[in-house]
Amino acid sequence: MAASSQGLATRATSTLDLVREALGALAARYQLDEVLTAIRHLPAREAKYRSMPAWVRPELAEAYRAKGVEKLYSHQAEATELARAGKDFVVVTPTASGKTLCYNLPVLSMVLENLDTRALYLFPTKALAQDQLAELHDLATRLDDRFGVFTYDGDTPSDARKAIRERGHVILTNPDMLHTGILPHHTKWMRLFENLRYIVLDELHTYRGVFGSHLTNVLRRLRRIAEFYGSRPQFICCSATIANPGELASQLIERPISTVDENGAPAAEKLFVFYNPPMVNRNLGIRRSYLNETTRVAKELLSRKLQTIVFANSRLHTEVLLTYLQQANPPQPGGSQPIRGYRGGYLPGERREIERGLREGRVRGVVATNALELGLDIGSLDACVMAGYAGSIASTWQRAGRAGRRSGTSCAVLVASSAPLDQFIVQHPDYFFERTPEHAYIQPDNLEILVNHLKCAAFELPIAPEDRFGGVDVQELCARLAEVGYLHLSGGNWHWAQGAYPADTVSLRSVTSDNFVIINTNGDDQGAPEVIGEVDFSSALTTVHPKAIYLHQGQQYHVERMDFEQRKAYVKPVDVDYYTDAIRYTQVRVLEIADEQRIAGPAARAHGDVLTRSQVIGFKKIKFFTNENVGDGKLELPENEMHTTAFWITLERALLESLPFALSERQSGIFGLLYALESMAALLLMCDRRDLGTAFGERPPGAGIETEWQPTPATPREAAEMKEFFEPNLYLYDAYPGGIGFSEPLYRVHDLLLRRTRELIASCPCENGCPSCVGPAGEKSERTKEAALAILERLSDPNEAMAAE
Amino acid sequence: MSQAYDPFSRLTALKPVRRRVAVQRLEEDTPGLRPDVPAGAARLAEILGATARSNRFGEYLALRRWFSEVIDGGSESAAPEGMFDPAALRLIAPEAPKEAADPQQWLFLDTETTGISGGTGTYPFLVGIAWWDAGGLEVEQFFMREHSEEHSLLVALAERMAERRVLVTFNGKSFDWPLLETRYRMTRTVRPPVPRAHLDFLHPARNLWRQRLGSARLPELERHVLGWNRGPDMMSELIPSIYFDFVRGGPPEPLVPIFQHNQMDLRGLAALASRVLSAVGSTAAEGCDALEIFGVSRICERRGEAVRARTLYERSIAAELPPETDRAARRALARLIQREGDFARAIDLWQGILGNTREGFEAYEQLAIHYEHRVKEPHRAATLTKKALTELRKAHRLGLVAPAAYRQQKQRFEKRLARLERKAGRTLLDAMAAGSVGLAD
Repeated sequence: MAASSQGLATRATSTLDLVREALGALAARYQLDEVLTAIRHLPAREAKYRSMPAWVRPELAEAYRAKGVEKLYSHQAEATELARAGKDFVVVTPTASGKTLCYNLPVLSMVLENLDTRALYLFPTKALAQDQLAELHDLATRLDDRFGVFTYDGDTPSDARKAIRERGHVILTNPDMLHTGILPHHTKWMRLFENLRYIVLDELHTYRGVFGSHLTNVLRRLRRIAEFYGSRPQFICCSATIANPGELASQLIERPISTVDENGAPAAEKLFVFYNPPMVNRNLGIRRSYLNETTRVAKELLSRKLQTIVFANSRLHTEVLLTYLQQANPPQPGGSQPIRGYRGGYLPGERREIERGLREGRVRGVVATNALELGLDIGSLDACVMAGYAGSIASTWQRAGRAGRRSGTSCAVLVASSAPLDQFIVQHPDYFFERTPEHAYIQPDNLEILVNHLKCAAFELPIAPEDRFGGVDVQELCARLAEVGYLHLSGGNWHWAQGAYPADTVSLRSVTSDNFVIINTNGDDQGAPEVIGEVDFSSALTTVHPKAIYLHQGQQYHVERMDFEQRKAYVKPVDVDYYTDAIRYTQVRVLEIADEQRIAGPAARAHGDVLTRSQVIGFKKIKFFTNENVGDGKLELPENEMHTTAFWITLERALLESLPFALSERQSGIFGLLYALESMAALLLMCDRRDLGTAFGERPPGAGIETEWQPTPATPREAAEMKEFFEPNLYLYDAYPGGIGFSEPLYRVHDLLLRRTRELIASCPCENGCPSCVGPAGEKSERTKEAALAILERLSDPNEAMAAE
Repeated sequence: MSQAYDPFSRLTALKPVRRRVAVQRLEEDTPGLRPDVPAGAARLAEILGATARSNRFGEYLALRRWFSEVIDGGSESAAPEGMFDPAALRLIAPEAPKEAADPQQWLFLDTETTGISGGTGTYPFLVGIAWWDAGGLEVEQFFMREHSEEHSLLVALAERMAERRVLVTFNGKSFDWPLLETRYRMTRTVRPPVPRAHLDFLHPARNLWRQRLGSARLPELERHVLGWNRGPDMMSELIPSIYFDFVRGGPPEPLVPIFQHNQMDLRGLAALASRVLSAVGSTAAEGCDALEIFGVSRICERRGEAVRARTLYERSIAAELPPETDRAARRALARLIQREGDFARAIDLWQGILGNTREGFEAYEQLAIHYEHRVKEPHRAATLTKKALTELRKAHRLGLVAPAAYRQQKQRFEKRLARLERKAGRTLLDAMAAGSVGLAD
């Protein structure tokens, strides 16, 4: 492979040498180009400079000069001019391109000009705000502390809050705190709101899906309050590279916005490697476990003294990898643990300590979930190993950016899992390296989300007849809320009419705000029961169901009891050689069809509102290292009903009849197709696979007519027992109540979706289907792959296919 | 089975957690009132004997009532005569200007609200104020019959607050007053009144009586300190929903007890304020029991009146406190005396409270510090620390200390012990080097 030899032959630097050595050691046993499917050497890039604008306050320019910033990169110059001109804009450039200057420079310059000026910075996490605080404090110190910069979040001590409200020129917070702590108490923040000139939204690309839909509504509330105090703040946004940053930003702030995307920053040299675990069974398309392979890669790097960050895509995998790597890298006698875990469920103190350890080099390796993906300052690491594709190109680049953030050479290794998305990416490296096809979607008018925020808005300020809130009929919605006792109409305005505080029950990170608390019944060293973490409602069903093995900091816990009512899971530390994987069962009922169209096949595509009913019915025990299924269990957890939106394809009878396959083969093909469709949909939507659900059911009798519940077969074998030519619906639904805007885009791009799905299946080197394309071969017919491809062929319109080429 | 799909049907799933009690809507329309005014408003005014008043912002309901006795019976049943003792006032509100001593300037305030979590969506629907008048207490209540009357209510309150500039509350510093300030700000037109002084009696009352009563709720204080039993009262948790039911057209009768409750809160507050001031007054402590004297000393100490605090602590100990409070008093006294430099007396006090209590462990620590740093006898300090550790472990086994406190305390003692042992070793060596200690020792 040309790319690989070119990559390995690059100029020797110490890190590069070490990485090359490590890769050599890894690949020695295999055919190089089959395992290392891409080695891209990303050369250093020159900077494009502009001079410091004349309007920047001289003392601020001097402070930046003292920090070593004398000139601006071209994109910084462009952005700061827009800021100065009072325009809303979004800056889209890679990690470490000096994005923070794009807002700090114009904001602080204005603050120094007029000390009444106030700015609100929003970061998706507390940790990011902390990180920015350090940078701003440094500037403030250089400027004799003429302005105040504070973080305001759940950790802010209550006696400090008053001073922050009065003296903070720049307030750094997160959407959740704005939602529960600031907006409902806006009178205390009068000085901020009366003088609010800038709102900074950093890491904008993270505000997609549910979170973005919530944030849009929080910003609606924020704008309402600002208007109440007579201010009209300007928005400055920063985003990682996605295909539609401008569209996302203007959807979030609900007005047109300019985009700055010509990067003028220099880039450090980087080696980017795609590592595909070798095939162990070509027939079944089984590859070596990517978790084991990730461990091997990380071990090779760590043994060469390269400080390494390992990313996993789930808490479970973080813990599994942590266990492996801690075993391989025990602490020095008397020393501290060199390999640490880091993820959402850890308590704040623990997280701060790990961040410090990384910066100071005491921690040599860290295994993280996406909690560390964003711009936290953990110093510059040498290497990044990703266990599985991050789910989006933007995330993958951000993770890779955690290594060698500032300068020098670094490397990033993506170890592909056998998931279709991963296989598609590592086998189509150009898709990853050349373009950014990823779009971020939000659905701020999701009724469930919007109504919750409308309640909060009414709590904050009575809703007046002329008030607007998203694209809904505010007055009608308020009347509905009054009927159920939330609001009361008085003097033409809708007033909050409940004793409770609405923001408390609305979580921005999910559609419902239920969390399960995990309690270790064996307790701390004193034997008192101890809370060790939290999981959100939907993951709770799959991770802390009775008899599950829950992992926390590498320790296994057996779930003894799950108290559904109290939202608690009681666990006990155990030491077993397996982990558990839950099995879910889902049915779908179509409520209303929004759009429907006949397509080639013959088939139909549609999207609309559906009701899903799902239940976790059991679990499998999977053995560590070998990944064997060593047992299973049945569970009786409550059913979960959900109104959401879905996109679906209906295969008509004529299509099915035209397929030269036996019934069971055909059914297998349909299952395989659905599996592959889900993967490619997640790819196109830049969402997690978990954000989408799939189900399989019979076509509804007609548009708008309610259908009966249909049993969805859990396995192809059951499906095969169903009647011969029923017309199946292949559903891809939004896995959140109310839907978060995936269905309509999928309906729109269904051609692209079908094309990519075909590419995925056709290019997969397995023979009869594998987890990377149509799903594991185990329970499927031998002709699954063939059948899925045959269906896809019929579904693609010959005219359109030609037009596309 | 066709059925139109209603996108709003999801809303029904969003009902409030606590279901409202079904409200029987009133049939009769109240003649002559704005359409927004709830149907029960006229009857409410009639039952209470209240009148609708208006100002340039609109209407609200007002009710005035004079009580010849502030509370029924007891020494605080009459209005105070003359000025308050300035020394007593200083203890309650050190920054208060002189006029705070003038009872004529006092305005008691208490609100009933639509919720207790605060924030901009919580409304004070009933604002009660009171002042001493003609030997008794004049109580005035402003009531918003529905949300849009808030503005006029706030203006009326501001007028009253301009007449009497000293605001007096019970827990109003952290609840009622910030809430009202929020409401004034929400109008964007009516400036929040600025009282010359704000006296809040929650903390003084806590200091004085919580030890004895185990609670500092106003009704408890009234019963046990003032000897006044309110009689039937309502549960304050029910207040928001009763008000909302009325606003939505429910009957007015359930509101009546809220008005009475608010009146009793104001009367209890007025009597309690007098009682607190006489307890902390310079001539006081005569009629006080040991626990009250202890409470006054704590207040004195907090306000920096060390001399008075010391005298009163000593008096409270002499008057026989219950063991727990006695320890706390000795501990506070020891600290005060230590600060004055009278170590011998402080050591005595610490010795007296050694034991397996919070103060007891502090005593061990203080004595250890004393022997280590002042007397320079590390051996003695080490022995004390070891004893403390033994006692601490025992206390932990018996479950007398909380696990977190245990860990923390243990760590402190162990650190100290390690240092002391190092030091003790060194002193021994130093002594040996100097030839004053033989190896036979």
